Amino acid sequence: MTGLLAVFRGEFQRIFALRPVFSVLVVGSVFYAVFYPQPYLNEALRNVPIAIVDGDGTATSRELARRVDATTDVAVTMVLPDIVSAERQVHARRIFGILVIPMNFERDLLHGRASPIALYADASYFLVYQRVSGGVVAVARTLGAEVETVRLMGIGVDPALAAAASDPMQLTAVPLFNPQGGYATYVLPGAFVLLLQQIMLMGVGLLGTLPGADPGINAREGLRPGPLATVAGKMLAYLLFEAFILPLYLIALPYLYGLPRLGGVVPILILAVPFVLSVSGLGLVVAAIFKNPLRVQLVLATIGLPFFFLSGFAWPTEVIPDAVHVVSLLVPSTSAINGFTRLAQLGAPLADVRSEFLMLWGLAIFYGGVVWILEFRKRRRDGRIERIVVA
Amino acid sequence: MLPRRELRPGFWLVFWREIDWLRRRPFLLAFVTIVPLALMALLTAIFSAGLATRLPIAVLDLDSSDLSRSIIRMVDATPDTAVAVRAGELAEGRGMILSGKVHGLLMLPQNLERDVFAGRRPEVVFFYNTQTLTTGNLTLRGINAAVPTAAMGIRLSLRTAQGQPIEEAQAAISPIPVQVHALFNPTLNYVHFLLAALLPSLLQIVIVTASAYSVGLDFETRHRLRILRRLGGGLWPAMAGKLLPYTVIFLLVLGVSDAVLFGILELPLHGRGWLLDIAGFLFVLSCQLLGALLALFLTPTATAVSIATLLTSPAFGFMGIGFPRLGMNAFSLGFGSLLPGTWYLTARIDQTIRGTPLDLSWRPILVLLAFVVGLAGLVALRLERIRANATRDASGTPKAVLSEVVS
Repeated sequence: MTGLLAVFRGEFQRIFALRPVFSVLVVGSVFYAVFYPQPYLNEALRNVPIAIVDGDGTATSRELARRVDATTDVAVTMVLPDIVSAERQVHARRIFGILVIPMNFERDLLHGRASPIALYADASYFLVYQRVSGGVVAVARTLGAEVETVRLMGIGVDPALAAAASDPMQLTAVPLFNPQGGYATYVLPGAFVLLLQQIMLMGVGLLGTLPGADPGINAREGLRPGPLATVAGKMLAYLLFEAFILPLYLIALPYLYGLPRLGGVVPILILAVPFVLSVSGLGLVVAAIFKNPLRVQLVLATIGLPFFFLSGFAWPTEVIPDAVHVVSLLVPSTSAINGFTRLAQLGAPLADVRSEFLMLWGLAIFYGGVVWILEFRKRRRDGRIERIVVA
Repeated sequence: MLPRRELRPGFWLVFWREIDWLRRRPFLLAFVTIVPLALMALLTAIFSAGLATRLPIAVLDLDSSDLSRSIIRMVDATPDTAVAVRAGELAEGRGMILSGKVHGLLMLPQNLERDVFAGRRPEVVFFYNTQTLTTGNLTLRGINAAVPTAAMGIRLSLRTAQGQPIEEAQAAISPIPVQVHALFNPTLNYVHFLLAALLPSLLQIVIVTASAYSVGLDFETRHRLRILRRLGGGLWPAMAGKLLPYTVIFLLVLGVSDAVLFGILELPLHGRGWLLDIAGFLFVLSCQLLGALLALFLTPTATAVSIATLLTSPAFGFMGIGFPRLGMNAFSLGFGSLLPGTWYLTARIDQTIRGTPLDLSWRPILVLLAFVVGLAGLVALRLERIRANATRDASGTPKAVLSEVVS
């Protein structure tokens, strides 16, 4: 027990004593907290510029253009004579959509015929495409319903019935948990969990490879903590440190960035314990594999990007090949991103993240066990060397 | 190991020494070859489906009529959604969303069929999880396709019941249909959109950090620097000989990933291949020079690698693929425009899916060229400084050098 406490105290002090570790765990945490969210802070695309090619030039076609321009989704910034010139503007990235109103648009409407319009939306950026197509289609549908109602009343249908006939079954779509469809609200809760993991892996990887990675040795009394005390002591030191950083990332930052949170603080902290322990264990395994602080840094720098897309957050787990998904469960972030966002953003009860909770505990025990075995072997090896030296 | 005839100091000596180094440093060799290729393979595997189809949703059918059943069939039949479960009550459906089992819940109210035909306009409600934005929007697209189609049938029958001829009713039902064309990516394929951008982004991280690392190893101490200078017969040829082997390797890695993208994943090449090659070459060079510059200014190497990591590993968000640059704040726009990857991805998207006309294609490529020239100039200035300091054997603090270079 004294060994465990000695390791715990020694390792906790190393976090602040070693400059590279301090830079990663403290300075890095603060830097990423400010830097990473920047691209997403505007939440949504607004007033995406599009062009109108109005082949009709009537009051109705201008009314359509005006209504399209009035939406928050798109802004009509150009009126162009033909599709060819409009396409050139799309290629130049000055506009991201072309709304074509054909000749006789108004006449066909007045004659009770279908009067189609065409929208060419830039799909090389999906968010742009969604905005442009969503905005224009909604306007056309509303205008169409109005036209239809007027027509029905024209043939003598009761106004209330006419409205019902143009829209007999209303579809109300209720977006849950991110009602504005904001991009920061979507991406940041998951990204914060991934950042926590990557920063922690880097810090623990450095702690495990920089000199003095064997804290708690009392040279004067010739004491060396046992392998279990070493592993447990280190993990508890990381847990204590993360007790400050993790609430910053999962509770304070979402609050400061105005992300909705439905879940309570306590379930988040309960899930945080196995998360921190499993990442600590993985960090120590990474340190044992790469043995050198520079290598640890290089490898971890590249691996964050794929990890994010493994979690089923940006790309649904249902369509990730099963084999890839099963292997991805070995990375704590896969379960953690899922678990934390469901607890915090969706307000799910702890029981709903049972499988993630158990998976993280499993990983903590697994990686802790691997590190324990490695420590055990290191002592045997060191013991052998000592014997040789003594002999 | 060095070829004996090449022992004259100069570019080639450093070039071959670097290749020999790589042979004797399996980690570095792996880091610039197997690691990026393996991670690219992983990303490719994740997105291999290309399209996310049949996303599970739950249905709460309180009506159990012919109409509600036909709506459920239609929802199940769209490519986007699949009716995975029937919920018995609202709370059960909500629970399934919370546990992540389904992405949405479609609620068909009681007396739906009766109210529809009585003109009472009942409400069909679709609750969907937009915390995961991509998935949420895809399920909504499925519902948006299926439910109005069902409504269309009802509207037809309501009109024919009013005595309207069926042809006329059909034309009148949708007065302003919108034909939406998705330019450049008609099937909205995520491989051509996201994966095609992720692979070069991953390479950017590897190139900048690996360059900072390998250059740092030789420039970290004065002693090593002296050796390198002697071998190269000057600092400039030494630096060129040091960087070029990696240029070849990175271009090969990029070539492999492009071979997979174009050959197997059918990424179109609507633009010009040679422009894409030029852009790729300039991209690799500017990333290498960026890494080298960090190593020249920041010692020890660990610091250079840290800063390289700090700049490149969160860079994907700044390059404007997921969330376009169009909607970013000034800081993100500024930082993004300083990343080689931003311009390389622009050039790639231009030449692959967009097929941008030649005269509109040059801007991102010229920016990359400016990066290469500018970064090479800074590297050269810094090398001149180091040389001057070495010959004078004076100690110039890095800060003084930086201000001179900048001014």
